[in-house]
Amino acid sequence: METINLNRRSFLVSSAVAGGGLALGLQLPFGITAAQAAETTPEINAWVVIKPDDSVVIRVARSEMGQGTITGLAQLVVEELECDWSKVSTEYPTPGENLKRNRVWQSYSTGGSRGIRTSHDYVRRGGAAARMMLMQAAADQWKVPVNQLTVNKGVIAHGASGRKVTYGKVAAAAAKLTPPDEKAIKLKDPKSWKVIGKPMKRFGTVDKVTGRQVYGADLKLPGMVNATIMECPVFGGKLKSFDAAKVTGMKGVKQVLRVGDTAVAVVADTWWHAKKALDALPVEWDFGDNVKVSSASIAEVLKAGLEAPQAFVGNKAGDIQSAIKGAAKTIDAVYEYPYQNHAPMEPMNATARYTPDRCEVWVPTQDGEASFAAALEASGLTADKCEVYKIDLGGGFGRRGAFQDYVKQAVLIAKQMPGTPVKLLWSREEDMRQGRYHPVMQCKLTGSFDSANNLTGLHMRLSGQSILASVRPAIVEKAGGKDPLTFQGVADSGEHSIGYTFPNLLIDHAMRNPHVPPGFWRGVNINQNAVFIECFMDELAHAAGQDPLEFRRKFMAQHPRNLGVLNAVAERIGWSKPAPKGRFRGLAQMKAFDSFVAAACEISVDSTGNKVKVHRIVAATDPGYAVNPAQIERQIAGSFVYGLSALFMQECTVKDGRIEQDNFHVYNSMRIAQMPKVESIIMPTGGPIWGGIGEPTICVAAPAVLNAYFKATGKRLRSVPLKNQGIELV
Amino acid sequence: MLGLPALATPEEMQAAMARITGGANVRRGRVKLQLPPLVENGNSVEFSVIVDSPMTETDYVKAIHVFTEKNPQPYVINAYLGPRAGRARITTRTRLADSQTVHAVAELSDGSFWSDSVSVVVTLSACIGNLV
Repeated sequence: METINLNRRSFLVSSAVAGGGLALGLQLPFGITAAQAAETTPEINAWVVIKPDDSVVIRVARSEMGQGTITGLAQLVVEELECDWSKVSTEYPTPGENLKRNRVWQSYSTGGSRGIRTSHDYVRRGGAAARMMLMQAAADQWKVPVNQLTVNKGVIAHGASGRKVTYGKVAAAAAKLTPPDEKAIKLKDPKSWKVIGKPMKRFGTVDKVTGRQVYGADLKLPGMVNATIMECPVFGGKLKSFDAAKVTGMKGVKQVLRVGDTAVAVVADTWWHAKKALDALPVEWDFGDNVKVSSASIAEVLKAGLEAPQAFVGNKAGDIQSAIKGAAKTIDAVYEYPYQNHAPMEPMNATARYTPDRCEVWVPTQDGEASFAAALEASGLTADKCEVYKIDLGGGFGRRGAFQDYVKQAVLIAKQMPGTPVKLLWSREEDMRQGRYHPVMQCKLTGSFDSANNLTGLHMRLSGQSILASVRPAIVEKAGGKDPLTFQGVADSGEHSIGYTFPNLLIDHAMRNPHVPPGFWRGVNINQNAVFIECFMDELAHAAGQDPLEFRRKFMAQHPRNLGVLNAVAERIGWSKPAPKGRFRGLAQMKAFDSFVAAACEISVDSTGNKVKVHRIVAATDPGYAVNPAQIERQIAGSFVYGLSALFMQECTVKDGRIEQDNFHVYNSMRIAQMPKVESIIMPTGGPIWGGIGEPTICVAAPAVLNAYFKATGKRLRSVPLKNQGIELV
Repeated sequence: MLGLPALATPEEMQAAMARITGGANVRRGRVKLQLPPLVENGNSVEFSVIVDSPMTETDYVKAIHVFTEKNPQPYVINAYLGPRAGRARITTRTRLADSQTVHAVAELSDGSFWSDSVSVVVTLSACIGNLV
């Protein structure tokens, strides 16, 4: 018999709900539901809860940020669990629970396109183990051997006797059984998948469309106050002083607080009152030396790096110096790619409540455990006193995983108002000014040819910022000062290895780290590396008088999966036949995050060369396995919105040590009318490795369009964004 | 060997501990290593080691050693104390290269060795994957 044992906290929470503390009827975040579920409903194992009415709750460790990962992860579990998909919902176990249960749900990190590819095996085993226990419970009840039973959609049947029972009826008994050894479980053959590989409808879409979805920015808790913050806009600078007296009399203002060494926050009854007061607050900053830095000064340093004698080698074959020395002709080009900001629709936010006995944080986060770690550090409390409740994100793109600055800020503010929930929501301006920016990079490429116009060698010298030197110096130390991530897409091995074999090759990086804080922007370094190498391959093809596709194929004999996606887009766009009049084509390919991707586009350009229309763009991806093809199509299209907006319209420039672009009027984004038609070819070829979906395709759209532009105009574009050259997307 | 290994291993850490203890038996207890179980990026992690000791002339902590399994080299700190320290407690910061177990060993004036260990998960490792 189960006793329902409500602890004090969940009693308070549920009475808050019943008491109508939430005037707008918003749902409380997931963490509360999980706690209540654990107390009243048996979990079969950590991954699967089955209620008496046969409804199934799948526990998900990763975060949903519009990429559809929780639906895909649920598909993986349900395939092995054999329950009824229509009865499935998901919930987030909290990071605190994960810690208490020895990290039974393993990693919470949702980044690097890793959500499905690094957890698919153990979540499937979790589903299979639960199925085995449920069937064993039925077998025990009926006193028959379990191998006489079958199961379909959550109904267990004993063919010989005609008996049937649903999962809900045996769940309590199953929960008491000893779980099987998960490593010994045999998973289903992909050929017999019924749920994986199918375009199941995503969870949460209706709530998003109807406005029921609660984002961190929407959160309302009983007794909550609102805060907004400004950190020193010059990175590395400090907060000197502020004159709180000038604003404490303003409407709704409760507190004006120093937050750490670098920021000041205003707490008020409403966010708008807090913002008005912060805007009016006199603040003195100690900007420090970085105030002298500008985009021009950064560009000068990077330019010098292109010719510097010392650089870190990322990929090497043969002897490039000899190849260049002995070449019949060489061609070279210099490319550049700017700082970019994530700019998610939902600005950074976190809600925290602190007492000396307990610190709780509600936050949209790509890594619940990273948020937990940040709460631990900022609160100074022990782990048993902390908790984080994950909320679905209004966009992450890499800003909300490795960087938990907004969590620390919220806790530091809440610590100064113990017992009161404080919702910290950044303004759009603060979000734009305090990003973790895609790193600035220049690249000089040199190709050497013999007298028969064969490419004999390629030197790709990168000059620019390392992300890991700032974010994870231990890895750079381990690699002898090199940042291996800089070579994504052109690496010598691994999930980002180069898709060509050249007789002589050198890819090296002159590391130049400006003071602007770098971060992981969707796709990370494949964005600029795809522009650099895929545009230069077209330049080389042109110099050799060869078709860009034929030229590439010469170096791809050892890269069959790269060739597979490249050929697929070429065929679909009709590469071997002439384009319609006035239309011009370009293509690109890369391996990224263990997936192989390619794009081919068809554009037209007006007579001035300034207006570009992308009519079609064909994308192919081979991720090994495709869990939800409908979702993959949407991820591909979404990645093109992100990537093409960056190509045409977006850059973050530095002036007086700070980022200039502070809102969307100067950091624009594509509109629906500009969006090309995207044709997706999803071609999983299986094998031992599962590839990612969230990021890979973002990198091939820009070079495909740039290559097509050359076809259309004879003009080579080597600098992003194109608006700086007067070019707009129409 | 020239230079340091790329990253220490648990075996190298055991060897480093053995050099300190001279192979003596190390017992768990009396030492409290305070380290958060989860850290974001491992770049700078605060920790404390507190040893249960009266710190008198005849009964005190001679040294506190802290080791890691996976940092570039296994020693984090060797702190030498005496009765005039008053309290057997050190607090400082370390860098943790990856998720790993950190060990603290205290050497007492009677020649005995006591220890504690904490497993720390570095959440940023998951984000970067196979580079770590």
